[in-house]
Amino acid sequence: MQTSREEPAPGAGTAVLEKARQRRAPRPHSWPERRLASAGRSAERLLEHAGGMATLVWRTLVYLFTGRIPFREFANQVYWMGVGSIPIVMVTGSLAGVVTSQQGGYQFTGNMPLEYLGSVVASSIILELGPVLTAVVLIGRVGARITAELGTMRVSEQIDALYSLGRDPVRTLVAPRIVAGIISVPILVAIANLVGLYAGMMAAQFTVGLGRQSFFYGASLFWHDWDMFYSLSKALAFGFVIPLVACHMGLATRGGAEGVGRYTTAAVVTMTLGVLILDALFPPLLLN
Amino acid sequence: MNDVMVDYRDLYKSFDHPVLAGVDLAVGRGETLSVVGHSGTGKSVLLKTTIGLIMPDEGDVVVDGQSVCSATRQQMQALRRKVGYVFQNAALFDSMTVFENVAQGLSDEEQRGLGGKGLMARVVEALELVNLEPRKVLAKLPSQLSGGMRKRVGIARAIIGRPQILLYDEPVTGLDPVNGTVVHRLIARLGAELGVTSIIVTHDIEGTLPISDRVAMLDHGFIRFVGTADEFRDSDDPLVRAFLERDVPDNDELLV
Repeated sequence: MQTSREEPAPGAGTAVLEKARQRRAPRPHSWPERRLASAGRSAERLLEHAGGMATLVWRTLVYLFTGRIPFREFANQVYWMGVGSIPIVMVTGSLAGVVTSQQGGYQFTGNMPLEYLGSVVASSIILELGPVLTAVVLIGRVGARITAELGTMRVSEQIDALYSLGRDPVRTLVAPRIVAGIISVPILVAIANLVGLYAGMMAAQFTVGLGRQSFFYGASLFWHDWDMFYSLSKALAFGFVIPLVACHMGLATRGGAEGVGRYTTAAVVTMTLGVLILDALFPPLLLN
Repeated sequence: MNDVMVDYRDLYKSFDHPVLAGVDLAVGRGETLSVVGHSGTGKSVLLKTTIGLIMPDEGDVVVDGQSVCSATRQQMQALRRKVGYVFQNAALFDSMTVFENVAQGLSDEEQRGLGGKGLMARVVEALELVNLEPRKVLAKLPSQLSGGMRKRVGIARAIIGRPQILLYDEPVTGLDPVNGTVVHRLIARLGAELGVTSIIVTHDIEGTLPISDRVAMLDHGFIRFVGTADEFRDSDDPLVRAFLERDVPDNDELLV
């Protein structure tokens, strides 16, 4: 049986390798050229990440609308992200309510009618602290774990194994997590809002002696139904961004255990920045 | 070669340095080809290009008439279904039991078609082929298995779908000699009885030579030698001799 098209002489590999090296050898550049090249590489990396995440979103949508997301994995993720996060979200929400109420009570006492404290606590919790603090907690609890899990699967060739078996990791791993995030986070934020409001009311009662009826009367003074929609819209956006960034960074992981650590850190930073930037975009988009 | 199953056509691949520098190799239908060479010479990269896990910078791989580089997503999935891949570290899914891991080798449609009992029978059959006792391992997680058992579960997962091509990345590394021989016999049996085309990346030249139709040696990203097992044994090439005799040649450049 004929073996290869042209059998090389021993040592021919070295010559070919040298030729390949020469072909790719960088030429020396001036300082401005190097800076420009560095900026170009950064922009290229940014676009690569953006493109990678856009691809994940597109393929998740395809699997979602064709009903091909594995239900068992989706249910697991809803349980783990949603049910598993309820205790920490309740603790965070109640602490936010207590602190807001105490600080507001300190500033209002002797200066303003204390009923307004109810309005301050309700607005702070529902418009800002409930969604953002819940998102920050979930970045640590859910986002970091997703990146580390998928990153470990990447470096231990489990993602390659999925591909080799003709299975798409986006279908089996990414889509269930993104859809679970979109469903779980608004529910968690609603829980955080309720708990925060109740804890704020209790704190107001114990610290400045503001009764329950007065607290809720104050809360209703500046209440708009739109506020709850605004709060849950933020939650929806955060519930989408956190698993999306986490999955993308997990699948992009390279470089063994050290790489898993590096990409997980990068994912946490990116998710936090993403949540805060989205948070800053919401008022001009939805409150004006 | 008239009936080529896997055709590597002038493959180039670089990461931070060139890894494949013009690999040109054809593997016949039903043939068992071993790829040997020092660590870091691109053997695993070559294997991964076969099913598009790594895409070459230049050149193409044609598998059973299908170009890997120009395949659509659907074509690539269909191509991968024809191929079983045995990973160096088994690459079992940590969160799944042995049963679930091996069953992953079948598509969802195949699993539904087989039903519960049929699927169990196929998984048991695959595990028995690799000398594992199904009763003892089916419900275990990969973390509860030894390295050798994990490797054999990985092989069971690769063969359960009855692929036309099997790619082995260091199939006996980490196995004791008995189980290493079991795996080598299994590779030979799959080739002889089912006509499976096998490409084996290995350092275990002693165990692999008897079951190989041909041997290719990668050196510096290039095919340095390719020939039958007998030609490999009789070769005067110093690097081939060093491999066979486990001897370090005087010329250190050969090992750079």
